[in-house]
Amino acid sequence: MGTMKIKAKEKDGIVKVKFMIKHPMLTYDQAKKKGTDPNFITHIGAKVGDKIVYDVSTSQFFSKNPQFKFKFKGAKKGDELCITWTDLSGKTVTECKKIK
Amino acid sequence: MNRRNFIGFGVLAMATLPATLSAFSSIDFRKTKPDTWTAKTVDNAVKALYGDIKPEESGVTVKAPKVASNGGAVPITVKSDIPAKTVAVFQDMNPESAVAVWNVPEGGIVDYSFKIKLKATDENGGNGTVYAIVEGRDGKFYKGKVSLQVAKGGCEG
Repeated sequence: MGTMKIKAKEKDGIVKVKFMIKHPMLTYDQAKKKGTDPNFITHIGAKVGDKIVYDVSTSQFFSKNPQFKFKFKGAKKGDELCITWTDLSGKTVTECKKIK
Repeated sequence: MNRRNFIGFGVLAMATLPATLSAFSSIDFRKTKPDTWTAKTVDNAVKALYGDIKPEESGVTVKAPKVASNGGAVPITVKSDIPAKTVAVFQDMNPESAVAVWNVPEGGIVDYSFKIKLKATDENGGNGTVYAIVEGRDGKFYKGKVSLQVAKGGCEG
């Protein structure tokens, strides 16, 4: 399994998405205490095909293994939703899931 | 294409063409507005992101538990029916203020839920506040807020 858990469900034209990213989300303060480098997710984007449906720049203040929910229009059951995240270290991960 | 030029072009295009023709592209606000993320107060963070704005206090709902027992993961929901261009969330408990900035696609639904870390508020019933600002497609700004107490801080780790 990957680093993400994604659930996407379409009903009456609206797709509800819930996702969780496995990430320590280490703040500057926490990293200093542990003597390691801070690392947290800085950007998350979601697409269906080449259409962006979610686009957020994030900070250190999201919880460990952060969870998100959002809704969007314009996709149907069977379409593939792809979520990409980038963290401070430059790591980028994309995972896709079919909309139910 | 140069990213900055491209965004500039998008703004121009929106002013001159119907909005439906302008391409929607991803924005990394950490790169375009770096000072937002280091600002220590909500006012300064807002200023760094949007400039000198006077948001109306209407049309934006921010939900949070009245008392969060675990500051490590405080659930927040931001909702608005205003056609939005961007949505930004700030708080006044942590060392820096900015939490996140959403770039909203045309016709996008503003109904975002997420969990954040907050420092404990003071034991004598002091409250902290989470703010959300919506930049409307009408060029105006709207604001919503919620106050809460955090029993156990989430930043001490």
